[in-house]
Amino acid sequence: MTIWSLVINSFRYYAKSHIGTILGVTVGTMVLVGALLVGESVKGSLRNMAEARLGKVELTLSSNDRLFRSKLANQIQAELIADTTAMLQLPGIAKRPSGESRANNVVVLGVDKTFWKLALKQPKFKDIPEDGIVLNERLARQLGNLKVGNVINLRVHNPSQLSRDAPMAPIEDSTASLAQMEIIAIISEKEFGRFSLQASQVPPYNAFVRLDQLQEAIEKPEMANLMLVGSMDKLSDNPLKRAHTALAKHWQLADAQAQLLQLPDNKGIELRSPRVFLDPPLAQAAKAIDENTTEILTYFVNNIQIGDRSTPYSMASALADFEPGTVWLNKWTANDLQAKVGDDVELSYYSVGTMRQLEERSEKFKIGGIISMDDPRSDITLMPDFPGMTDSENCSDWDTGFPMNLDAIREKDEDYWDNYKGTPKAYISLKTGKEIWSNRFGSLTAIRYTKNGPKALESLEKKLLTELNPQDTGLTFQAARLQASASVNNAMDFGQLFMSFSFFLITAAIMLISLLFQFTIEKRTKETGTLLAVGISGKRVRRMLTLEGGLIAIVGCVIGSAAGTLFAKALLNALSTNWKDAVASAALTYHSSISAICAGMAMGFCVAMFTIWWTLRKLKKQTARELLAGEFKEQIQTQKSAKRSAIIGVLLLLTVLISVGYTVAKGDQIPPQAFYGAGALLLLSGITLTSAKLRRLGSHSILNQTHSLNIGGLGQRNAARRPRRSMATIGMLACGSFMIASIGVFQKDANIDSDQPNSGTGGFELMGEASIAVVHDMNNKTNREDYYSLDEDLLKEVSFVPFRLRDGDQANCLNLNLAQEPRLLGVNPEMLAGKFTFIDTIDGLETGDNPWSILESARMSTQLPDDVIPAIADQSVMMWALSGGDMMKSKKLGDTLDYIDEQGRPFKIKFVGQIADSILQGNLIISESDFIKRFPGESGYRFFLVDGPKEQSREISNELNVAMSDHGFEWIKTTQRLGELNAVQNTYLQTFQVLGGLGLLLGSLGLGVVVMRNVQERKSELALLRAIGFKKSLIKQFVLHEYLSLLVAGLSIGTIAAILAVLPTILSPTTIVPYTLLASTLGGVFILAGLWTWIATNLSLRGNLLDGLQRD
Amino acid sequence: MVFLLLEVFLFSQLAQYRSVWRMATNKDVVLKLEEIHKQYESADRSPVEVLKGVSLTVKRGDSIAIVGPSGCGKSTLLNILGSLDSPTSGNIQLDGQELANLSEQELAAVRNKKIGFIFQSHHLLPQCSILENVLIPTLAEKGKASLDAIKRAKQLLERSGLEHRLTHRPFQLSGGECQRVAVVRALINQPSLILADEPTGALDHSNAETMTELLVKLNREDQATLIVVTHSMELAAKMETTYKLQNGIFSS
Repeated sequence: MTIWSLVINSFRYYAKSHIGTILGVTVGTMVLVGALLVGESVKGSLRNMAEARLGKVELTLSSNDRLFRSKLANQIQAELIADTTAMLQLPGIAKRPSGESRANNVVVLGVDKTFWKLALKQPKFKDIPEDGIVLNERLARQLGNLKVGNVINLRVHNPSQLSRDAPMAPIEDSTASLAQMEIIAIISEKEFGRFSLQASQVPPYNAFVRLDQLQEAIEKPEMANLMLVGSMDKLSDNPLKRAHTALAKHWQLADAQAQLLQLPDNKGIELRSPRVFLDPPLAQAAKAIDENTTEILTYFVNNIQIGDRSTPYSMASALADFEPGTVWLNKWTANDLQAKVGDDVELSYYSVGTMRQLEERSEKFKIGGIISMDDPRSDITLMPDFPGMTDSENCSDWDTGFPMNLDAIREKDEDYWDNYKGTPKAYISLKTGKEIWSNRFGSLTAIRYTKNGPKALESLEKKLLTELNPQDTGLTFQAARLQASASVNNAMDFGQLFMSFSFFLITAAIMLISLLFQFTIEKRTKETGTLLAVGISGKRVRRMLTLEGGLIAIVGCVIGSAAGTLFAKALLNALSTNWKDAVASAALTYHSSISAICAGMAMGFCVAMFTIWWTLRKLKKQTARELLAGEFKEQIQTQKSAKRSAIIGVLLLLTVLISVGYTVAKGDQIPPQAFYGAGALLLLSGITLTSAKLRRLGSHSILNQTHSLNIGGLGQRNAARRPRRSMATIGMLACGSFMIASIGVFQKDANIDSDQPNSGTGGFELMGEASIAVVHDMNNKTNREDYYSLDEDLLKEVSFVPFRLRDGDQANCLNLNLAQEPRLLGVNPEMLAGKFTFIDTIDGLETGDNPWSILESARMSTQLPDDVIPAIADQSVMMWALSGGDMMKSKKLGDTLDYIDEQGRPFKIKFVGQIADSILQGNLIISESDFIKRFPGESGYRFFLVDGPKEQSREISNELNVAMSDHGFEWIKTTQRLGELNAVQNTYLQTFQVLGGLGLLLGSLGLGVVVMRNVQERKSELALLRAIGFKKSLIKQFVLHEYLSLLVAGLSIGTIAAILAVLPTILSPTTIVPYTLLASTLGGVFILAGLWTWIATNLSLRGNLLDGLQRD
Repeated sequence: MVFLLLEVFLFSQLAQYRSVWRMATNKDVVLKLEEIHKQYESADRSPVEVLKGVSLTVKRGDSIAIVGPSGCGKSTLLNILGSLDSPTSGNIQLDGQELANLSEQELAAVRNKKIGFIFQSHHLLPQCSILENVLIPTLAEKGKASLDAIKRAKQLLERSGLEHRLTHRPFQLSGGECQRVAVVRALINQPSLILADEPTGALDHSNAETMTELLVKLNREDQATLIVVTHSMELAAKMETTYKLQNGIFSS
């Protein structure tokens, strides 16, 4: 016989009485384990998705439009001893030849055999044959459940060495097509069907073709823009560093879009670039490696004019040899213009603006001299390789990408082209040339060295490659796997989320544990008294009961953990069906986790033990004598305590009335928060006043009011006999109904005020995102007609706000992963004037009429260093999306985020403004000028907001879809997008309501338990009533009255307070209050709690009541 | 027969005590009460004085009955004697030890070692066997019943005619049997004072008579110090001294 055996005996003997408490612990543990398992399952699913999208890839090098040699991968592979592949990844559009289905935003991947080695599972085919194509399951589905053997057409973006923003870049070849591609396989996620560099739970539309076929289609043989590196041997502790070292060792000038050429006639060696302009880091390195260099800037001029004589479409070079202010013409041109030294000459040319805007400018010079056609400076090689021009037979075949007046080209101009090609006709000073022709792509077209010969060339190349860092030209490896696991590990924690949603379920469970355990203890007061009387210390008795409680908790936790796995599966099922919007329709699978189950059980155990300990605390005050007499003390209420509660309650009520009255009287716009606060105070006031009432009923003063004694009053007075029990029930019901009723109206509706510029839609009607960038100004009527043949009648009132887009992770609630590098949108702030609502801007900024202007003014006014770019983001992006739902990590105004630009230079994004939640959620907005400085290679616009007449939005979207189909546009209504974003929050609220409702129902069960227990306790009193002639039905009525009053009090306090809290929202004509859900939840609670009470009353009062009297 | 056995057994038990006691001073003082007052707060917060200066000296081997009308404070007094309750004022000494100065823990130890309680209800734990019920007081010290204690409990139960009931649960026994188990439980730690609160109150006439005989024997044969609170004049008459508690004071 030991204390333990006594504890175990007691546990077994009272097992039946413990069932209720065990049930409470089970529910608590079930909810906690379930929530944690949901969290683990979401994380596990995201981890699986990350595994599937990256396969065995460790590092990636993505260079977008800057292509490198595909051979580079082989050389690096040998160095790293790791699977490496070079591939082309291009945005595109897929269509069935019949046109019946199409998919935009397709990722076209040109791959060879080495790519598949990095997949988790090798696909069945060995290699993709010529004209063969492999689709992932999502794309095959999108195109109408295509099967192997079906044929599709692809149109892909053709990367241009020269940015397509440059007006001299040709547009004819901006896309390439791959027609009649036969599907040879549809691959699963494990077979790399999900391959993507972006963390998202939505799989991309992937189409895989042969690398060489894609290279041929875009006319870039042997070139690639993406390199993947698999896992290296385990000894490699810094794979990233090793990869960069290998890259620096094996890269060549071609990988930096540069070439060194031996010029004919030993005129030296020249550095030039297929990008036409030398990247500034390249130019800088080229100058650093040799002292004797000649810088050349050759530009296309529209006209060389002297008086009314002009020579059209010529090359002009800027060289250091010439004096500023002067121009030298070659002999041919001087003859053509009948020019002589000292004449005034005007050169007109197009400047490089944004949106390919062609602004013709001109500059005046004096002729400083004439250069003969034999002069070494009359050099045909001064002209850079303008794509679409250099290889043309005739001037009239030029594809320059800007409008040319072909009529202006004369016979002799064609002759000049035949004889001298692009030999410059005019020469100006380098200084002036840089001033007028420099642009964001560079300020030189070539650099010449005086050296000659293959050896010198080789030596220069070596020096240049050493001087230049691959990262400066945008060749940077990223630790893709590490980034992926970071975004999964820091993703929104659904475990915590569901734990908070289940708040009321847990509270209800705690209340049940406390009530039921206390009842079990109360039943055993005499036993406890005996133990004390025979000399077992109070401490030891409490410890014994705590141990018994521990056994209850353990049993509850074990059952709860099993139930928790089922609960988690049920929640996951709900997340894939009714609540799928909460996880943006991600496919979630159940992931069991021992640690989550153990953590949930441990939490459940602690909650149960704390509750049990807290319940047993009261035992301390009980003496053996009282316990032996079967008394369990409930503090006798004093009039004083009743008064104190009443005063607090009245004060709270007055505060509510005064604050609401004051705000209404002021007549200002009433902030909804004020009402919510008032509602919460009213709730507190209601609970406190009820407590005061109960205390007064329980105090002695009531005994003097014999005249007011009636059945109802007696019932109420009975409720006051155990005021804590009663208040626990009322408090739970009131708080629960308040939360559930008030939270429902926070549902957001995207259609409210959607045409207002300050709403979440910004007043825009449509938004569109293109796979292939648009380079023209869509607000220009001529462009719309010339390039897209858009219907002007329909579009005359339509305006576009174009955004440049740097791909990255979606930083919004639709992405379950933590966005590592959110998407950037570059916009001209003027175009967003008056749109959206600003919540706050960084201190000390002048916002003026257009707060968006801070994107440009913040640099000056807050003296930002060059590597910091001001940005504006949505409130929810800063609060949630960049912190993985962790409030502690939310971004505040003034915080920064690290980025790497196109040339591998790190820079920071600084949050200077915050807008209310809008359709821009998921992106960080920066100014267009900052964007093109950092990402000059991202040509054109891929994101558009469209303003236009609401009633024609469908027609406009159809027109845009058809006319701009080659860009792969997805046009949607802004309200639809906002609705998708709101759906996440709305679903969270709905989940909270449903789980809260369940908690409230469970809490209502507590009321039943209280009834049972109280009636049991008072059986002899009720027997007495029966003995003195009360009918049984009257006694039942008497008991029911007592508890229904508690139920009504609890629910009414909560609901009335909730109505006040959400009054502004209810009164707003556009709000859709979910009356049905609210009414069914509260009604359900009322009916069920009533039912429990009725059942409990009947159960307790069955049999012969008079027995109770005799027993006594 | 059973009762005979019980008497024999209890007699032998008390013989053990007697030898010990006799080694000590003959008729030394076990319990001394001086001017015990006890006040309660009534429902309307006005003080109600239940005991108004009770003094009493109990010597080893005394048998005392305390009688009085309902509500006169008999049970209150007994609870105070048994350290289940504390007086508002006045001193109590048990075996020369002042109880007022003891902590709750020390009082529990005193109750456990020096006092044996017999209540009107037996208060046996329903979840424990008869043997276990007897052993409950022995758990107080080390949390574990020693082999000696188990042996003694078995002997006590055997001699009280309950040997066939060792593993039974209280509900399987008659009221008289349960009350005898309660007496055995009171003896298990060899206390110096036995306090009985209406020990026959819940028994039928024949069982009550047996219980009375038993208690008388305990005292007479064994010099056991016995204080009985009772309504039963039959039981009271069997005690050496009877005190009548009236209006909070003794009137002998």
